[in-house]
Amino acid sequence: MFVYEKKLQYPVRIKNCNPKLAAVIISQYGGPDGELGASLRYLSQRYAMPYPELKGLLTDIGTEELGHLEMIGAIVHQLTRKLSDEQIKTAGFDSYFVDHTTGVYPTAASGWPYNAASMAVKGDVICDLTENLAAEQKARVTYDNILRLSDDPDVNDVIRFLREREIVHFQRFGEAIELAKERMNQKNVYYMNPAFDR
Amino acid sequence: MCLHSDTAPNSRPCEDGQGSLSPCAPLAVPFVPFQQRGSKKYDQREALANGTLFPGLNLPFHVKAQAGSLPEGAAAELQALNFVVTELGLYLDTHQDDAEAIQLFEQYTQLAREGKRRYEAMYGPLTQRSAVQNGAYTWLNDPWPWEYRKEGGGT
Repeated sequence: MFVYEKKLQYPVRIKNCNPKLAAVIISQYGGPDGELGASLRYLSQRYAMPYPELKGLLTDIGTEELGHLEMIGAIVHQLTRKLSDEQIKTAGFDSYFVDHTTGVYPTAASGWPYNAASMAVKGDVICDLTENLAAEQKARVTYDNILRLSDDPDVNDVIRFLREREIVHFQRFGEAIELAKERMNQKNVYYMNPAFDR
Repeated sequence: MCLHSDTAPNSRPCEDGQGSLSPCAPLAVPFVPFQQRGSKKYDQREALANGTLFPGLNLPFHVKAQAGSLPEGAAAELQALNFVVTELGLYLDTHQDDAEAIQLFEQYTQLAREGKRRYEAMYGPLTQRSAVQNGAYTWLNDPWPWEYRKEGGGT
């Protein structure tokens, strides 16, 4: 089960409102490579993981991603607090505002609501871990792009942290593939699916 | 470049920030080098500011690449301790018999427990189960972690 801790993993303190930037960053809440998809992907994949290191790693990274989801929510919330009538008309934010006011809703910046089609649970060790390598790269690039788009040092401070986590997670998933391979058929790792074939 | 597996298990054939790969390996599967034991580590505050405990894994983007600036106070202190626990936990998931990392993990979990007690005494409960303080139910007290605060204090 999960127990909530009333704190963020990394401090989020954003002095200035910026609805336009919020409308971009919301993509890491509910977009195709966002933190909601990341946590759901890992916490769902773990049921078909045959080896203890992999069960543990997916549980732990999936849990950390939930903390990142909360941090992205905090960024969007703080960027949109106390908006003026003029600010809600900001191009890029107005179309979000009309549907969600200043609530935090899991959607891509492009307007698509969160869609589980952007993640995969294939029930196969090598396949799922390879998906995760790609997922961490896609999230890393999204954070690169946010850093290109944002001039707010308070936001960039948090985004840099989250971006670096993608790199560390990539490394651990890569090591997880090595650990999995050691336990599989050395001549042919595709000989069987250890999550299914007995 | 790296030398490979002919070296003893605890020697470090590669530079920090590199890992070892076996010279011959099966085709058609991805390979990521294993992080070596004894890799350099930041202290907890630097680790949190950089988003990793390991300098060798710190690979910033050229746009706005400098490390983060953390606030002072018990909250950031606790976040830094917990961050090292999280980071070492992931490392141990793939390096479960690294004795040095196990020892460090134990030290940091202990420090994080003490940090949690200090924090809760100053700013209120971190978990609902520690929400009764001096006979009062304090779980609902503001602020919540996502709310903006100028300085110090909580989360």
